[in-house]
Amino acid sequence: MGVITEYYRATSCDDAHAKAKSLGSAAAYVGGGVELVLRRNPEVATLIDLSRCGLGRIVKTAEALSLGAQVTLAAISRNGDVKAYAGGSLAYLAGHIAHNNLRNMITIGGAIGRNQPWNDIVPHLIALGAYVEIQDDQERVMPLSDFIRQREPGTLILGVRLPLVNADLHGFLWRFTRTQQDISLLHCSALIGVQESVVSAATIVYAGRPGGTVLYPKVAAELIGRPVKAETFLHAGDVAAQAVEVGDDLRASGSYRRELVRAAMVRLGEEMAGVAQ
Amino acid sequence: MRVSITINAVQCLLEIEPGDILLDVLRREGYVEVKGDCHTGDCGACTVLLDGKPVASCLMLAAKADGHAVTTVRGIGDQRHPHALQKAFVHNGAIQCGYCIPGAITSAKALLDENPEPTREDIRLAMDGNYCRCTGYEQQIEAVLEAARELREGGFR
Ligand SMILES: Cc1cc2nc3c(=O)[nH]c(=O)nc-3n(C[C@H](O)[C@H](O)[C@H](O)COP(=O)(O)OP(=O)(O)OC[C@H]3O[C@@H](n4cnc5c(N)ncnc54)[C@H](O)[C@@H]3O)c2cc1C
Repeated sequence: MGVITEYYRATSCDDAHAKAKSLGSAAAYVGGGVELVLRRNPEVATLIDLSRCGLGRIVKTAEALSLGAQVTLAAISRNGDVKAYAGGSLAYLAGHIAHNNLRNMITIGGAIGRNQPWNDIVPHLIALGAYVEIQDDQERVMPLSDFIRQREPGTLILGVRLPLVNADLHGFLWRFTRTQQDISLLHCSALIGVQESVVSAATIVYAGRPGGTVLYPKVAAELIGRPVKAETFLHAGDVAAQAVEVGDDLRASGSYRRELVRAAMVRLGEEMAGVAQ
Repeated sequence: MRVSITINAVQCLLEIEPGDILLDVLRREGYVEVKGDCHTGDCGACTVLLDGKPVASCLMLAAKADGHAVTTVRGIGDQRHPHALQKAFVHNGAIQCGYCIPGAITSAKALLDENPEPTREDIRLAMDGNYCRCTGYEQQIEAVLEAARELREGGFR
């Protein structure tokens, strides 16, 4: 934020989007406002408040669990339907990011809107197969993984949809951090299905490499159709260590991250062994 | 712009700039019990309750508080009428330099309002954003457990 000259309270999503469109890069939507305050963008002069746009609800329909863009991490972590979804991994994550005060502020729309390379929420939602509801010139629904690649400035995020077909699969999350509040040195999220002790479905995502979220279908393919055994996940770990692009930064070296990539698959194997039993 | 914020149960009409931060507005209005320290949402010294939920006022736009209720540690209890938590913090030696205590007590109040019988783990998680560089946290956990007990038994207000 630079010098803010206007705080605009949008009365509807149409109103919010029209305002953003008319101002271009001089306007920003407000989720929890955490990131907007922390990293002020000198271009932004108008803030568009979304709290009156009806985006603060969690609703379960026949097809999906819908989380409005204004829903906070704290609300996600406490919601019974989210706790029951894919073993409760998203509820756990939302209840352990940053700290309690910030979890009452950070919104799902703001987390996706900012999507830092070390962000934990976006990779986990992508692993769970989330779709994003957006409004640009029309309302649309698209896979979140596509949205983060193709996003146009000014697009309003209305919320995310977690498909109920994935609700009984197992969500896995491994954030490697130095302290609980630290940002991830490496993030691995997965969604795994098991039938009769064989992996029937797999989605594997790595982030914080230090680059952003990437899906690894090649690693997932090493798991599908194989027994839920330590060797299966050790082998997938070797494939992942080859496939996942890692780099150096001040917080960890690329070679250390490569070991973490492998270790994440071992952890996943240990967790799935418990689930299969 | 003009906002209406109920601060410690008193409705306040305030003139603010659209980009003002809640922490700065509160201190400017005399609520100096709300402490600023890191200004990056890390330390918890600036914790206030927004409609009963703890938030980091250093990262909160004041305009977002329009129409809402803000409670500072002074709204929880003061020297003449201390809250059970404030008494328990003193009683358990949970205060040394005191800088983080307004935030710590505010977070603890939100916890006890929601969960009158918290475990140690519940307390750790609820206060995981309140850094204290003096006490080592153990006495603070003891203090919250004691206050919870007292409140359940009706000993303190
Ligand atoms: C101390 C600290 C620790 C943290 N730890 C973690 C962590 O461990 N893991 C992690 O993942 N994150 C962490 N975060 C980061 C946090 O998730 C981000 O700051 C997040 O973006 C804040 O969400 P918000 O709702 O406050 O966003 P805002 O600041 O409101 O918005 C962020 C961006 O998204 C845009 N935006 C907001 N809502 C919408 C919408 N509906 N449609 C389109 N664009 C929108 C805004 O214009 C802005 O550009 C941490 C932050 C702090 C301060």
